Amino acid sequence: MTNLSQQPSPSFPGRLLRRSSRRYLRQHPLLILLSILGVAVGVSVVVGIDLANSSARTAFQLSTETVAGRATHALVAGDGPIDDDIYQEVRVGLGVRQAAPILEGYARVSDPTGPVVQLLGIDPLADGDFRSFAGGPGGGLDLGGFMGGSSSVLMAPATASRFGLEIGSSFFLWVDGRAKEVTLLDMLDPSDDLEATGLDNLIVMDISVAQAVMDAPGQLSRIDLRLPLPIDVENMTALVEDRLPENVELRRAEARSSTLDQMTEAFSLNLTAMSLLALVVGMFLIYNTMTFSVVQRRSLMGRLRALGVTRREIFWLVLSEALLIGGIGAIIGVLGGVALGRVLVGLVTQTINDLYFVVRIRDLDLSYWALAKGLLLGIGSTLLSTIPPAREATRAAVSTVLRRSENESRISAMLPRLNWSGLGLAVLGGLLLWGSGTNIAVSYVGILAIILAGACWTPALVLLGSRLLRPVLGGVFGIIGRMAASGIGQSLSRSAVAVAALTIAVSATTGVGVMVESFRTTVDTWLTYSLEADVYISPPGTVFRRNDSTITPEAEAVIRSADGVISSFSVRTANVVVDNEPTDLIVTEPRPSALEPGRYKAIADYDHREAMRSRDVVMVSEPYSYRHGTRVGDELLIVTANGPIRFEVGAIYHDYASDLGAVQMTRSRYDIHFNDPFVSGLAVYVAPSDSVETVVEQLREATTSVQGLNIRSNRDLRQASLEVFDRTFTVTTVLRLLAILVAFVGVLTALMSLQLERRRELAVLRANGMTPVQVRRTVTLQTVSMGLIAGILSIPMGLVLSWLLIFVINQRSFGWTLQFIIDPMILGQAVLLALLAALLASVYPTWSMSRANAADALRAE
Amino acid sequence: MKYQLYMALLGLVLTGCGVQAPTKSDTEPMELAAAMGGDTLGYARATGPQLFNMPSDLGAHPDFKTEWWYFTGNLFSDEGRRFGYELTLFRSALAPPDVDDESAGAPPDSAWDTRQLYMGHFSLADPETGEFYAFERFSRGSMGLAGAQSPPFRIWLDDWNMESESIEDLFPLRLMAEEDGIGIDLHLGRAKPMVLQGNDGWDPKGEGEGNASYYYSYTRIETEGTVSLRGDRIEVSGQSWKDHEWSTSALGPKESGWDWFALQLSDGREIMVYQLRRKDGSVSPFTSGTLVLEDGSKRALEADQFEITVRDTWLSPVSGAEYPSGWRLEIPSEDISLSVTPVQPNQELNVSVRYWEGAVDIGGSASGEAITGVGYVELTGYDTPPTDAQ
Repeated sequence: MTNLSQQPSPSFPGRLLRRSSRRYLRQHPLLILLSILGVAVGVSVVVGIDLANSSARTAFQLSTETVAGRATHALVAGDGPIDDDIYQEVRVGLGVRQAAPILEGYARVSDPTGPVVQLLGIDPLADGDFRSFAGGPGGGLDLGGFMGGSSSVLMAPATASRFGLEIGSSFFLWVDGRAKEVTLLDMLDPSDDLEATGLDNLIVMDISVAQAVMDAPGQLSRIDLRLPLPIDVENMTALVEDRLPENVELRRAEARSSTLDQMTEAFSLNLTAMSLLALVVGMFLIYNTMTFSVVQRRSLMGRLRALGVTRREIFWLVLSEALLIGGIGAIIGVLGGVALGRVLVGLVTQTINDLYFVVRIRDLDLSYWALAKGLLLGIGSTLLSTIPPAREATRAAVSTVLRRSENESRISAMLPRLNWSGLGLAVLGGLLLWGSGTNIAVSYVGILAIILAGACWTPALVLLGSRLLRPVLGGVFGIIGRMAASGIGQSLSRSAVAVAALTIAVSATTGVGVMVESFRTTVDTWLTYSLEADVYISPPGTVFRRNDSTITPEAEAVIRSADGVISSFSVRTANVVVDNEPTDLIVTEPRPSALEPGRYKAIADYDHREAMRSRDVVMVSEPYSYRHGTRVGDELLIVTANGPIRFEVGAIYHDYASDLGAVQMTRSRYDIHFNDPFVSGLAVYVAPSDSVETVVEQLREATTSVQGLNIRSNRDLRQASLEVFDRTFTVTTVLRLLAILVAFVGVLTALMSLQLERRRELAVLRANGMTPVQVRRTVTLQTVSMGLIAGILSIPMGLVLSWLLIFVINQRSFGWTLQFIIDPMILGQAVLLALLAALLASVYPTWSMSRANAADALRAE
Repeated sequence: MKYQLYMALLGLVLTGCGVQAPTKSDTEPMELAAAMGGDTLGYARATGPQLFNMPSDLGAHPDFKTEWWYFTGNLFSDEGRRFGYELTLFRSALAPPDVDDESAGAPPDSAWDTRQLYMGHFSLADPETGEFYAFERFSRGSMGLAGAQSPPFRIWLDDWNMESESIEDLFPLRLMAEEDGIGIDLHLGRAKPMVLQGNDGWDPKGEGEGNASYYYSYTRIETEGTVSLRGDRIEVSGQSWKDHEWSTSALGPKESGWDWFALQLSDGREIMVYQLRRKDGSVSPFTSGTLVLEDGSKRALEADQFEITVRDTWLSPVSGAEYPSGWRLEIPSEDISLSVTPVQPNQELNVSVRYWEGAVDIGGSASGEAITGVGYVELTGYDTPPTDAQ
């Protein structure tokens, strides 16, 4: 008892501090709520994107690892699928024990447009050392049923219930528009949650069934090996070199998952950067709220200092208030991020599936690290943006009387310094962008520096804007207009932050908008000149932009000889090893068109089109040349069926189909170097006298019994391509909207706090005879003016951003050259958006101020 | 007398327990009767004696459910070192022939498609060190990964190989197996004539028509070659024994295991005897044997003509099973009295189904003369605790 009572009680100033803090927070609930909201939205966007990205990655890795099992290495063929005779040679001829054949692929379940599943063909008798599918201890796989002649498959219970299948159910697997009926023999039994995730979208079958379903007789995707010791690897390397055909190579198992991870690296990084933008806007918001709270309590703090409160105590007071707001905001943000992540993960998956590979995400991967990161980011950015106002608070002079004008005069005095800082930041940003080479993350830091430079310049520009507006508003609205305009300049410390936040938010959306539009227009133009045939035929694939399915020779014959078809050419997409990396190889037959201008980024000084037919010359796509630094005249080592062969690069062509890059070869050279008679797509020209639509119908009818094919007119294909394009930018659009939301909240709080702070000033005006209507008009006019200034400022800022996104970020992420297209609509939207935000932000303060009792407002706090 | 063992093993394989790394010994052994179940419908049956058609009958009989090619032998180096080896390849049909109706029809367009499963066991006993090495393999009978053919005779599973060096004849024959640095590369040359077991090669195993196998043996084959022992290559020579048996029907539910003896006596004769043990401890009436004379002619031995007495036992430290380890074999009608002693106690194969298959030494007397010999003994069913408690 005595001990307790003897505990030192909080000091009087300490109690005062806390009480003042509580009182302040209670008095401005709306402001605090909005600040919390701002942080929350910022954090949730970051967390949401992070979760979506990491879930996609985890799902992919888990399924890769589940499929790879305990394999350390794999034998693959550089020129495509590996011949299954190689497996016999490895096992019987070379006596390599720990080897398992694998045939992988994708199929659609039940109907040609059904959900995509991954197929895994195994030999259950060779697979035990690699994967536990074929029955661990007591696993009880019915081998007779599995490989004894009936088309049986296995899948995880969750997968089966998703497709409404039970043990014994028969269903169809569609591959390249052909269906094979299979029976669900038994369930795979995931041993834990991770394995369940890995198995989620997998259908396992005997290799004989897999070859039949995928119509791939004689083919394997790879031969898995277990080479646990360096000596094993050495021995195997020697065997591969001495005893196996030249196109076979030994690859480490991790290489596979890392290659595919690299595919989406740029994509994920860009999403993360965009999500951080929302947080940056959120930081402005916190900065604004805390500055406002400090300014409002300047006199109180002065008095507290007079009572003996130290600077340090004041500093921590402000910081702890911010921590409270930031903490609550971050917690809500993390929770919101999880919810947002569930939405975003669908969009992210869709894009990955459209562009790169098939991945199915079973559930959001709620890593504690991602959540903690969000929390830390939210709180950290809050604290960071509170340091300036907190330091400002400690400067409160020991005094009982203080006015903001002192602050205002200080910011005016600071203007030159701010402007120089802006210049410094701009130069730094420029240097970072220039010097960062291909590093996208550093490029984004450079862009951030440039954004901050814009923020530093904002006060000066706001001042300039208010001076320019003064005569205009004065001319239209008289004294009220002039007052509104000069008010902006007078409360520069508030208004500049509000305008800066709004400018950054709006310019970010403008920048992204212009970038997407430029991209779309470029792709549209490219589609126009690259889709030159009338009708395009391809088997339904699983990844829109990377279709290496094949058309059956029967269907090909039917199409080529159909009525109304005057000529046709084929395209084959194969995956081969170029300079030691799996690469898409596009094989084309000569097409009738003349040289297309604008098709090439660079060409050799000889006729590369002729050279590609007569000797080993290929061309590479722009992203390929960017990724690998390939130039015209360079040589590529391509693994063919006859072993590695050097090909000369004759041209670099524009291509927006894949950011992974592709190598293009003529069919005649392909037929010499590869044993692959198949085609992935056909393009046909229709006689001018025939209607394209009629021919499309006829082709559909003629092929329907042979193979289910996508037969599309030029116009439809272009439409479908653009749809996929738009779909891939859905995430970007969502992020853009969320950034606008944060900006909007920011502007709302900034303008509201500004106007709330002017209560006394306005009360004086009221006392001097201004009507509530006039007060309302002044306030509205002022906020709208600020919106206008922000809107106008966001145009150059947005254009700079979009230029950087197009020519720096896009170039460096994907290697594409885009046209820079400025749509006046997007710029107009930006100004309108700023004005609208400002107008909405003025509603509450206007309403509350015009209602306020002038006498109350005048009373000192 | 591999018959029941292999039915049991293949039964296990068919129910999936066999498909795992052979190093895993944590699997509970299955009860034999359960393991030996399996549908025999649709397969060919051994319904009566028939003429063997050599050399094609040396190869596979895929219409029967089960088949194996079994080699064992005792090998000696010039320096007096000795080894015992077993190399057996089994074939098991996963589905009966000709069930190609529409629903069960296999996708015909894959060379991997097969109904035949192959299993291999390879063991080497090294009495000098007391080490015993045993390996197991599985493979499908397609894509050239495993298979059986004749002529020319070749049975293989991966790089384990039994291959005749002549086009028409079984011998000379080369056996090759190697795993983890333990291997044999043996040339099997001159052999005593083939012995048709049972009734002209038709060997009833139980009650009911078709519960029998086709079974022939080569009871003495001169053997020389090398044994590889973790880098050491040791020249050896000795004698091998070959069995080839195929059938469809399964062992009855009453049997718990069996003891099988293949003995090569120094007087040029061989003895093959087996006794089936029942769960109630009694000996099955289908217990029998064969005495092969020096000229290759044979005399059948009925159950009441011989007596096997256990002289010693050995407790496996791995499985905890207690095996007989030393016997006395009396054949009063032939005036033969033998003691049979394992060359080393540990010859237990820890594979899908644990069993003991080991080289033995023989001493004793025949017609009053002292006699020696070598051989192989197989013991199954000692791994499972007795289940006669109902």
